[in-house]
Amino acid sequence: MQLKDRIKEKIIILDGATGTELHKKGMPAGVCPEIWCLENPDIISGVHAGYRDAGADIVYTATFGANGIKLSQYGAYDVVEINRDLTLLARRAVGADVLLAGDICSTGRFVRPFGDLDFEEAIDAYKEQVKGLLEGGVDLFVIETMMDIQETRAALIAVKELSDKFAIVTMTYEENGRTLNGTDPVAALITLQSLGADAVGCNCSTGPEEMLGLIEAMKPWAKIPLVAKPNAGMPELIEGKTIFNMNADAFASFGAQFVSKGANLIGGCCGTTPEHIRKLKEALAGIKPVLPVRDSIGALSSARSYVILEGERPLSIVGERINPTGKKALQQELLEGRMSLVRTMAKEQENQGASLLDVNMGMPGIDEKETMLDAIGNLSVASELPLVIDSSNIEVIEAALRLYPGRVLINSISGETKKMARLLPVAAKYGAMFILLPLADGDIPETAEERKKIIKDVFGKAADLGFTKSDIVVDGLVMAASSNFKAPMETLKTIEWSSHVFGTNTIVGLSNVSFGMPERKWLNASFLAMAVSKGLTMAIANPGVEELINSKLAGDVLAGRDKDASRYISHFSQMPPKVKQEDAPSHKTSEDKVFQAILEGNREDIERLLSGAMDSGMGAQKIVDEIMIPSITEVGDLFDRREYFLPQLIASAETMKKGIAFLEPWLGDAKLNKKQKGLIIIATVKGDVHDIGKNIVALMLKNHGFEVVDLGKDVPAEVIVQEAVRLKSSVIGLSALMTTTMVIMKEVIDLAQRESLDCKFMVGGAVVTKAYAKSIGAHYAKDGVEAVRVVEKLIP
Amino acid sequence: MDAVYRRLGYKRGITKVDVHEREEIERHIDYAVAIVSLKGAGLRVSLKEVTPHLVVLGTDVEIESAKLARFLKGCKEALFIGSTAGSEVMDAIRKDTEGGDMTRGVVIDAVASEMTDAALDWITGFFNRLLARENARLTSGRFSAGYGDFLLENQKLMYDTLELDRIGVKINENFILIPEKSVTAVAGIYT
Repeated sequence: MQLKDRIKEKIIILDGATGTELHKKGMPAGVCPEIWCLENPDIISGVHAGYRDAGADIVYTATFGANGIKLSQYGAYDVVEINRDLTLLARRAVGADVLLAGDICSTGRFVRPFGDLDFEEAIDAYKEQVKGLLEGGVDLFVIETMMDIQETRAALIAVKELSDKFAIVTMTYEENGRTLNGTDPVAALITLQSLGADAVGCNCSTGPEEMLGLIEAMKPWAKIPLVAKPNAGMPELIEGKTIFNMNADAFASFGAQFVSKGANLIGGCCGTTPEHIRKLKEALAGIKPVLPVRDSIGALSSARSYVILEGERPLSIVGERINPTGKKALQQELLEGRMSLVRTMAKEQENQGASLLDVNMGMPGIDEKETMLDAIGNLSVASELPLVIDSSNIEVIEAALRLYPGRVLINSISGETKKMARLLPVAAKYGAMFILLPLADGDIPETAEERKKIIKDVFGKAADLGFTKSDIVVDGLVMAASSNFKAPMETLKTIEWSSHVFGTNTIVGLSNVSFGMPERKWLNASFLAMAVSKGLTMAIANPGVEELINSKLAGDVLAGRDKDASRYISHFSQMPPKVKQEDAPSHKTSEDKVFQAILEGNREDIERLLSGAMDSGMGAQKIVDEIMIPSITEVGDLFDRREYFLPQLIASAETMKKGIAFLEPWLGDAKLNKKQKGLIIIATVKGDVHDIGKNIVALMLKNHGFEVVDLGKDVPAEVIVQEAVRLKSSVIGLSALMTTTMVIMKEVIDLAQRESLDCKFMVGGAVVTKAYAKSIGAHYAKDGVEAVRVVEKLIP
Repeated sequence: MDAVYRRLGYKRGITKVDVHEREEIERHIDYAVAIVSLKGAGLRVSLKEVTPHLVVLGTDVEIESAKLARFLKGCKEALFIGSTAGSEVMDAIRKDTEGGDMTRGVVIDAVASEMTDAALDWITGFFNRLLARENARLTSGRFSAGYGDFLLENQKLMYDTLELDRIGVKINENFILIPEKSVTAVAGIYT
């Protein structure tokens, strides 16, 4: 009987730990386990046979780290040969009646974008291992103890591209319920089952009790069997050794709970022994499995999160902004190969309430495929939201589907014969969902009836490849009301039929409806509300448009898709009042307001408030001396007492700077009076590139009226002294962050003394101490506030 | 979030931040998180010998440092690790602190530092999980070139061993990593 069929009949028992058993039987720490097993075949054979005798239905080969990248740490080995030989050895140990799973795990290197391992390089490394395992005759594959969903995908793609054998994938989760990389178990399940895993679950890290919740969380969304392979309890560190203390009886007592939560294949990981597996088998004898509850799912995932597209739920907004069309700044960034704006747009849309992000990288002058891959790499880290890959280029879509560490929604597949024939198999291979655009070869279908026919045709062809209605999202095909006033109603009819008769999710590219019209936001918002009433589930739109989001929230309430109106109430109860602060009655004088603005770091209003103070008859010099300087001094005191922290200090300093610049025309030659007291040269010394602290000191000194010449960072001693001579500076301020560059400060001072420079020195920086400053003949300032006080003493 | 606040000098119970200031700071933190592009590397290296003043790698490279030797005492392997926040965040800090929005600049700077350190934590966590399968574990702390007698020059050895150029990091003649928010460290492996 095939494994898939056996799973329907009974709980499949997996083996227990291999690594801890090998250590118990004498494998030294620090050796390559795979090579050691080949050199000690009787020991590993004994471990395998022990699990067979304990009743395991599936035994894992001892090839956990037998990929080329991992093995290379121990020397040059033939990866195929090692995997083949270890598989043959395992087969001899367990015989033909036990299924042999080719064990695959992490390479130990980090896949891009975090690491330097190219995704395709990872796939190739795994393929090499898979070849060896196939040559050895494994019955199935198991990819286990994975922490990175992207590396897991690489291993699974390698398996699926070389074999159609059953593939189990288990990831390892931390106590917080996520992998070390932050992937949640449901997101992992959605990603891996759509990519073709035959069973998904978890192993290692936790004991059985902690793992039950992970299985329970996955079960409602699983269309494939689930796997649980916990450790023998939570690991404890005792006298420098990791110990697993749960005995076989206690371990086995969790078996029935695992079954009730939905696990179909159960075994043990670190610390478990053949005895644990024997007891587990006994405990599960006669217990019937809980089979997967569904055969399809409308859901998308990212590396860290997921979106379920089923049931009565609020309208999902697909953020539309990551698209260079009509966006000059984004176009320029993409031309320069930069991704900052893409990442910030993603984060902003996420914060504004988008559920998904549409990504379009189509523009002249760039390689769309490479740019899309770059964007995906960046977005997979920068945002938790799953992506909608938006391109008219099939190669771009295919490359994106292969790389993205989640389940993607393709935007879009239409009824255009040639394109559909190429795109549907690609979507099927990677398990993507797709937007079904009701267009076909020929003219644009104007009526809902024409569109329905195309929708049925495309779905029919998709169904032949295994797609279900849960896997598609029908586009209502929004046309401009300005060119055909009947068009919006045809879209609404298409949405209504798709939602309530055909039974799929639906989407619209919202802003098309208002094309060519003035005040477009009202048409967009009204059309959105109408579409929601017809069952619309998703809209591609800008979540930063307030009217649109408010209309969505209201529509969700009125369509019964926001239970108890909780989202609506929550959103509007968090909105700040629209009354501007300055509109509220105030008894403060203009002078008080200026003082307060600096104290609060109010950069937006300082110029207006200064104008007010001058209008009330106060002179610029007096404002500086009697309001601004006292205010910034108070800020310094607050900072000293730690009532303010750095961002507040800087905000106040910037407000002061802006205010001084505004008043400068009225200050005349006298300006800030103190200028005549002396000039300060400031620099980060040679060899050091850290300059943020130095920049803060310069800002603070300038705000207190000192003339400061900032020479920048990595400045040679000769240049500092030369400039000090030329500008007749009274004080030289030196900054260094590292112990290695701190010593350069002394070189500057020594050189200045050799040049007989009549000048004082002030030093600071992370590693600089008061004692060190004194030892080289300098004054010390720990921060910008203290620097002002030091200089005020040095230039009385 | 708390770590960023602490790095910026926030002291719970003493520092007073009103709702508008908090909103602004958290907006800057969000922006910083979006533009930081973390990358990292880790590599196990064998140790041939650890004497009181010398660490000899499996490749026969010698590191003279009594403090490092003391730190790695009893280890047969070490883990070299490195991480970077990327160059785009450094460009943003530079623009902001040299005449843009310095408040945002100092917040981004703190976020980038925290995230780079957090990446090292993540890498050590990753290796600890793998090592647990070998009944091995990492030392609880880590050691970086430039501290004590483990001279900064050794950063070049770390850089070359980890091939940090592959994740976009450069090293200058003063052994400083560029982008500035880049770090390397050594941890010992107990077996």
